[in-house]
Amino acid sequence: MDRRDFLHRAGMCFGGVATFGFPTVRFASVPEPGRLVFVLLRGGFDGLAALVPAGDDGYASLRGAMAFAPDALHPLEAGFGLAPGLAPLRAFWERGELVALHAMAIPFRTRSHFDGQAVLETGMDRPEGSADGWLNRLLQVMEGERSGIAVAAGMPRSMIGAHPVSTWSPAELGAVDDAYLDRLHLLYRSDPRLFNRFEAAVQQQARTAEMEMDEGMGRGPGTDVSALFRAAARLIRPATGPNVAAMELSGWDTHANQGLEGGPLDRLLGRLAQGLVAFRDEMEAAWADTTVVVMTEFGRTARPNGTRGTDHGTAGAGFVLGPRVARSAVVADWPGLADHALFEGRDLRPTLDTRAVLKGVVTGAFDLTAAQADRVFPGSAGVRGRTDLMG
Amino acid sequence: MTALRALNRFGLGAGPGDARALDDPRGWLESQLDSSAPLRPTPGGDVDVGALVREQRALARSDDDARRSDLRRRILEFTVTESRDALTARTTSARPFVERLVAFWSNHLCVSAAAKLPTRLLAGSYEREAIRPHVLGRFDEMVRASVRHPAMLTYLDNAQSVGPDSPAARTVARRRRGEDAPPVGLNENHARELLELHTLGVDGGYDQDDVRALARVLTGWTVTGLGGAGARFAPGDGVGFRFVPLLHDPGDKTVLGRRYGEGGEGEGDAVIRDLCRHPSTATFVATKLVRHFVDDDPPPDAVTRVARRFRDTEGDLRETARALVHLDAAWSDAHRKFRTPQDWLVAMLRGLGAREAPPSVLGVLRDLRHPLWAPPSPRGFGDTMAEWADPDGLLNRAELARTVARTPAGRRVGSGPGLPALADLAEGSGDDPLRAVLADSSIPSDERVALAFAGPSFQWR
Repeated sequence: MDRRDFLHRAGMCFGGVATFGFPTVRFASVPEPGRLVFVLLRGGFDGLAALVPAGDDGYASLRGAMAFAPDALHPLEAGFGLAPGLAPLRAFWERGELVALHAMAIPFRTRSHFDGQAVLETGMDRPEGSADGWLNRLLQVMEGERSGIAVAAGMPRSMIGAHPVSTWSPAELGAVDDAYLDRLHLLYRSDPRLFNRFEAAVQQQARTAEMEMDEGMGRGPGTDVSALFRAAARLIRPATGPNVAAMELSGWDTHANQGLEGGPLDRLLGRLAQGLVAFRDEMEAAWADTTVVVMTEFGRTARPNGTRGTDHGTAGAGFVLGPRVARSAVVADWPGLADHALFEGRDLRPTLDTRAVLKGVVTGAFDLTAAQADRVFPGSAGVRGRTDLMG
Repeated sequence: MTALRALNRFGLGAGPGDARALDDPRGWLESQLDSSAPLRPTPGGDVDVGALVREQRALARSDDDARRSDLRRRILEFTVTESRDALTARTTSARPFVERLVAFWSNHLCVSAAAKLPTRLLAGSYEREAIRPHVLGRFDEMVRASVRHPAMLTYLDNAQSVGPDSPAARTVARRRRGEDAPPVGLNENHARELLELHTLGVDGGYDQDDVRALARVLTGWTVTGLGGAGARFAPGDGVGFRFVPLLHDPGDKTVLGRRYGEGGEGEGDAVIRDLCRHPSTATFVATKLVRHFVDDDPPPDAVTRVARRFRDTEGDLRETARALVHLDAAWSDAHRKFRTPQDWLVAMLRGLGAREAPPSVLGVLRDLRHPLWAPPSPRGFGDTMAEWADPDGLLNRAELARTVARTPAGRRVGSGPGLPALADLAEGSGDDPLRAVLADSSIPSDERVALAFAGPSFQWR
């Protein structure tokens, strides 16, 4: 018996799948068009070393020995260039599928990773604003059939909330048969706090069983980023797949020895860029209505610190990728790198609110109204969504 | 029920027959606090961590694949030995409350083996030397031991931080005049996390100037024996802490409004003592303890009680632990905690009467997203249901329980009188059908063992 049979049987046993209250089960309905993948770079990635403002007169002297030589970069526009490791993103740029954002920050000033991530992931204007994540709120606001999945990240803050969400990781800790899951399902019925989650797990497993997941896809100590991105694509590309996905990469807290071309940070950027290319390729035709957002909790200090790294800063860079963006562009109301222009004398000054970008993206990716986007980001009515980013 | 609460909520899970044998649960917990935490010998024996690090640095530029893979093998062997030893201690300890405290404080002041090689190699000794001796001692001494431990000094980069006006920085600046070389100076990583994560908490009342000042205070606190740039200023073969005056930023520093006169190494000790006595620290630490032992949403009056005990005893962690046992909330039906993957796995091993942690335990914990000593960030692993009870996580537990039930230990329990007793390892809800399932002989006995550990009641403590 395969997983699908198990589901049917479970449904028969317990009075029909519909009574479980799971909108994630979709056998015959038309899904909401559009897919959104939110990739969180945990640790605060150095935007100035990724989307490099080589055209700013202050750049070379500010970064000193940590400044890229101009010819090491891949120029985009307006004096900005991609770091060497991000070269694979040129393919998106040339197809009109890359919006590169700079001088962007969350709406709350903090140099704490954890407060910063809380603000970014909850979509609020302060760390304690809400227990729920904005991706979950997005699922609540969307209409029609929709579902969410967190890929290899457990349940990130961004996905927590009332809308049921599944999770997937490459780990497989042993073979289980349907009789066992069936009995376990019975046991979980006695636990109202866990039943829905177990139910979602079994349903996700049923869907995954129908896909071709390569042996060991994405498995390992977290270095094979491309494999993880390919696995994510397999999970979300089916027509009935999730519309909203969360992923995360860590290792961006580069306090020491960031390096230049081929250095530790550049290699991380390379893995990210190659992963995004692998994701696009694996999405096949479904790439056409997919949008990927890459963000981080804060940028890093404009100047290097004393150990050839950077400390926690304020504004930084991010990316929006996919055919639904209006056109390739560098979007930055550039504050400059002169001493007097720096925020508190040390960080890139924020001129763009992450919520403005995210509101623009969700309205474009899912045809939401501005009022609906406001509900995804409560308290943000005064922050206009950048609808110009999406076509 | 009270016995199970002591065994599960404060301990690491009930072993076969434990609940029945325990007639004074509170007394059993308090008696575990009587003497200091049992120290553990180094399981890795005579492995020289510094030599491994230096060897890896030397090989990084070589193309000798055979030597590289040999080194990788030795590193893996060493880390597996260290980790298994720590998990065996949790699995077999007769003072599981104390082992829970070791794990709690180790996570509160965490290093991450996922970061750099020196930290990975030193994570076991960090818990053994900086955490374990102090879990029933004084908080400020634990923090001081943490800040001085080579694992922490490398993890949060303080070993590399140099005072901008230190003699060393001045010398470098003179030599490099006119060159486009990176400045030698501060790294504020450790200072920030010491304030935000280890003592005051993020809203504890410090600002960016305090972070800078504390980073200056800690300049000169570095390590010996790990090669690299540090070796120049801190010669010596063994891996250890060293205060190097040449790296220390001279002059007065003001942290949280208090001025510390130039005092070399003593400055750091003084600031750490004051941070640990700060009222914000008591509240922050008490909140985390109550969240860990009682509820994801810590009841405010419980936090107040524990914080007061912590403050009144100037951070006596034995008395603080006792205050947790005395909380009514800790024994109440109204509160429950979802087991973290590590706690769940150890509880399963204890439930099976295991004598040691199996060799596969490291990989298993990684697959459960709770690798030993390898949290994704300096905050440590999360401690709430929202972070751990995701669907895939439950499925992973179901898979692993099924695998474990097929091992000799699982089959032994499954084929003997221990099988029905598995229902006594956890508190089931009123209509939990586990007992009936365990008695159902139409289900293969090893599958019944798996159901006991994968079922919902065993996920809680």
